[in-house]
Parts: sequence; C-alpha cells; structure tokens
Amino acid sequence: MIIWSIAKTTVGDALRKKVLQIFLVVAIGLIIISLSFSQTLSFSSRAGSSTDIMLVKSFGLGLMAVAAWLISLVMGVSLIPQEIERRTIYTILAKPVKRYEFIVGKYLGAVLTLAINVAIMGVVFIAVCVFKAMGAEQPVTPEETGLPLVGMQQVGLFDWNMVWGVIMIFLQFTVLTSVVLLFSVFLTPTVNFFMGLGVYIVGVMAPLTETLSSKESQLHPVLKVFYRVIHIIVPNFDKFNVTNTLLHPETHIESMAKYTGIVTLYALFYSLLLMLLAVIIFRKKEV
Amino acid sequence: MRSLYVARPLPATEFSSGHPTQKPIKPASNEWSEVTDSYRKGGVIVADAIAVRNLTKVYGGALKNRVPAVDNISFTVAEGEIFGFIGPNGAGKTTTIKILLGLLFPTSGEAEVLGMPAGDIETKRRISYLPESPYFYEHMTGAEVIEFYCRLFRMGTAERKAKTQELLERVGLAEDGHRTLRQYSKGMLQRIGIAQALINDPDLLFLDEPTSGLDPIAHKDITELISSLGKQGKTVFLSSHQLGDVETVCDRVAIINRGKIVKIGTLDDLLRAGRTVITFAKAGSDLVEQVKPYAERVSADGELVRVYVESEENVHSVLDTARGKATLVSVLPQRQTLEDLFVEIVREVRK
Repeated sequence: MIIWSIAKTTVGDALRKKVLQIFLVVAIGLIIISLSFSQTLSFSSRAGSSTDIMLVKSFGLGLMAVAAWLISLVMGVSLIPQEIERRTIYTILAKPVKRYEFIVGKYLGAVLTLAINVAIMGVVFIAVCVFKAMGAEQPVTPEETGLPLVGMQQVGLFDWNMVWGVIMIFLQFTVLTSVVLLFSVFLTPTVNFFMGLGVYIVGVMAPLTETLSSKESQLHPVLKVFYRVIHIIVPNFDKFNVTNTLLHPETHIESMAKYTGIVTLYALFYSLLLMLLAVIIFRKKEV
Repeated sequence: MRSLYVARPLPATEFSSGHPTQKPIKPASNEWSEVTDSYRKGGVIVADAIAVRNLTKVYGGALKNRVPAVDNISFTVAEGEIFGFIGPNGAGKTTTIKILLGLLFPTSGEAEVLGMPAGDIETKRRISYLPESPYFYEHMTGAEVIEFYCRLFRMGTAERKAKTQELLERVGLAEDGHRTLRQYSKGMLQRIGIAQALINDPDLLFLDEPTSGLDPIAHKDITELISSLGKQGKTVFLSSHQLGDVETVCDRVAIINRGKIVKIGTLDDLLRAGRTVITFAKAGSDLVEQVKPYAERVSADGELVRVYVESEENVHSVLDTARGKATLVSVLPQRQTLEDLFVEIVREVRK
C-alpha cells in the first residue's frame, strides 16, 4: 500500500513536469508529421508505397526511442534529489515508512510514467502506421512467388512487429531508469545525467566491448579483462535494439514473442539488481 | 539525584493508545543525570520522551574543514513537556532533529526517542515532524496530500476520508481542501504541514520553525495549537527563531550555539536575572551605608533608595537591616526576556 501510494504520487508529479510533457508532445507531433513522408525523401531504390511505410516505421521507432531515452534520463536523475530539495522526503521518512518502500515506490512510479509515455507514443505511432498502410501496395518479390516480378499486392494494415518494437523501447529504458535511480541515490542530477548517458552509450556498444574482450582480440590481456568487466557490468542495451530486424522482412527472428520474453527477463534481472543496490545504499544514506 | 524510573500517572488517552510499555532510559553517568534530570513537569517525575547522550555529528568533507555540527550534547525532554530548542542559524538545531528522526546518523553518542533508538520504525507511529518551510506535491489538492500521508500509516479508505476531513477542519482548511497546493498561500501550506503532523495523533511532535513567515493570524493560530497540544499531554520539541513564541508556549528551553548546548532549563530559571531591586522611602543616610555590604549597588533618587541585591540571602539581610529604619516600597525580582538572554549568550560565545 505504501509503495503503491508513493508510486502513484511519483507518476502524478512526473506527468506534470513541463519538460517531460514537451518531449512527449514533440515526439507525437513528429510521428504524426511523418505521415507526410514519402519515397521522395527515401534513399531506397525500391519503388512503391511500401517504402514510405518503412520510412514512417523506422522514423517512428527511432523517435520514440529518443523521446523515451530523454524521458527516462530527465525523470530518473531527479527522482531522489528532488524529494530532498523539496523536503518531502523528510515528512515521508518521519512516518513509519521503510526506506526500501520509498525507493521501490519511486522506481515503480518512474517505470509507470515511462510506460504511460511510451504507450501514448506507441498508440499514436501504430495508428499512423495503420493509416499509412491503408490502400498501400508493395511489389510481390520473386522469392515469394517463385516467378519473376509479377505485380503489386496490398500491404497488411496491422504490423505486429511494431508492437514488439514499442515493447522493446519500454524495456530498454526501464533498465536505463533503474541505472539513473541507483545513481540518483548518491549523485547530483547533473552528474547523474552524464553518468547515465555514459552507461547507455557503453551499453549500446556492447557488441564492441564483447569483441574487444574476446579470445580473438589482439589487445593486451589486461585491457581484455577490463573490457570483459565492462561488458558484464554494464547492461547490454543493444539487446533491445531490434528496429532493423523488425523493419526488414528478410531478416527473421524465429519467434519475436520468445525473444521479447528473454529480453524481458534480462531487463527484469538488471532492474531488480540495480534496485537492490539502490536500496542497500539508501539504507545508510543521510537525507 | 532523583530517580528517572518513576512514571507519572498517564492520562486515559495514553492508556487507550495501546502502545507497549517503554523501556526506561538509564542515565549513563552522574554528570549526564545532573544535566538532564533538572526538570520534571509540575514537580512530578515523568519518563523521558527524548534522551540525547554525548551526541556528536560531524559532516563529511575535507578533513581540515570538518567542524562538528553538533558537538557532544546531552539533554532530555520529559513526556508532556513543550521543549524549546533555540539557537542562531547553523547552530545545529535541524541536525539534532534529523538525528532524532533517524534521517541523519550520529557520528558518536546516543539518541533515544520514546525509549527506543532514534529512527526506530515502530516509534515513528507515535511521532511526527513538520520541517521548516515544508513543500508538498504541488499538483495535489490539500485533501489528497493528507490522504497520501494517511496511506503511509496504512489507514483504510473510510478511516482516511474521515481523518482527512477532521484534520482539514482542525487547521481551518475545510473549505480549501479541493484546491491544489499550487494555489495555497504560505500560511495555508504551513497548516497542511501541521495537519499531516497530526494524522497519527502523535505523542511527540517535532516542529521546526512552525511559525516562520506567517501572517499574524496564522501565527497566532499555530502558537495556540502548540499550547493546546501541550495541554493534551503531548510532548512538543519546538525549534524556532520566534523567541516570543518559545517564551509563550515552552516549559523548558535549551539554547544551542555552534553545536553546543550553552544553557538549558525552565524559563523561570533562565530568565531570572539573579538580581532583586528593593526600594525604600524615607531612608536615612546611615541606612545606605548599612546595606552597602549586602548590595551590588545602591542608588538614591530623591526620597527613594534602590538597593540592587544579587542573592536571596542578601535580600533577607537588607530587609532585616532596614526594618524600622525606612518604609519598604517594593521588592522586585528582575526578569530578562528570552531575546535578551539569547542575544547575550550568543554574543558571549562569539567573543
């Protein structure tokens, strides 16, 4: 009950933050504007309106990722410092509230806020995709027919891959939110912002750190160990980056639902681990 | 030395609250007992609501700049007492309160609240805190804020609604409960702060500058509320710069400066200037000479002779000497204001 109360208050507070509202409104505005994008802006050599749809999907998923990234960073860095600055934390912790309840409540509130924002963007994005797909046609490829190009076919209105894409964005930035929540227990918002940014960039470059730390790498063994440690500690944000796979039908993931399940467990594991660390540090934190 | 283990008869409300019997606080040393056991309300010895022993708090930072915010302080606050904790800015008042609430951890020493170590989660059901210039979630209405704090005490829906209504009425915000805090004045926010501090009908309240920046009406309302809490048998730990308020409502006062308690006692003890002025009329010149050995100063003003006497013993000696030799006009013990005492002490320490 206490955790839920703190979470609800955090959501109410965050949703009224002007800066977060601006990110959301701008992202939605741009997603809607992307309806007007056409092949003339596309560098694709393939003709037909299916390329327009692909452009809208690619742009929308990328834009949502940027907006969710900004929302999770900007919201996350002030989660605890703002409570201290406003002194609300004093009245809360002077009541019979355990410190872990406070941290878990704040985290849950932040994740819910992220979920609401991503859901709103996601609904608009999918609606835009459906609208764009109305009456659109795509060429029938020889691989599908076994014959030379024979003509055009209707594009499917609803693409489930876009739902998976939205879910992946949410999962990715849930992990980033837990990273900045952990940092917000002991760092100032500005330092936290850059630390969060740094962790995200390193996490996105996980394939690189993996390569650098592999047996085949030519690096000095000490550096290899260093990259191995970085690769293990920093969440692998690249795992969530499935936009290309979703957009290109020729690159298939065997089961997107199965992959999403695995990635969800991965996100859950990292979030719980980081939250546990935050709780341990916050137990002895002076406020 | 009087024993700390004799409890006063508790009022009915305290019996019905169902709180477990508190472990009495054992004095650590004779020195400690002398400092802390100097006052017991109405001459009746009561249990301690707050006990602080050799408490020190040093904030982190560069080693050479580490000045203790609280420096080896000891004091107790008896149950049912309104205790004033005053000092200049940066004296260590808020740090002490935060340690007592478990928000900060002492560098050394002990702090107990209602018989339990400071910060004990169960004790927090019986205490409350109003920070200086509190801020709440501005997007919420007054009623929502109170309901939110009620939830932190795990109250059910019906109890929450009833408590919110009751408290809003008690602090004079019944008509404004539906407005968001963004629309509230400072005085109204302070009232919300008081309301959230009364949710659990606390036995002990920590009030940090509860009247700062308030208009005279709100100021009066809040000082009256503090007095009424005292009458209900609540213990109030009041930190304030409003020395007039402290003088009006407090039973006992501690003055803290640069982390050290420099004076502690009842207002009567602290404000007694230690001097009595005895005025005579129709006194002969020989009387002036006769009382001089007992007096700090003697002054003649026309027919009146004023004798300034330091000790009670000397007052009796002067009166005995003057008997039959002059007409006694008045015997007036001089009393300082708390502001005079405060300024005097702080200046002395600065010197």
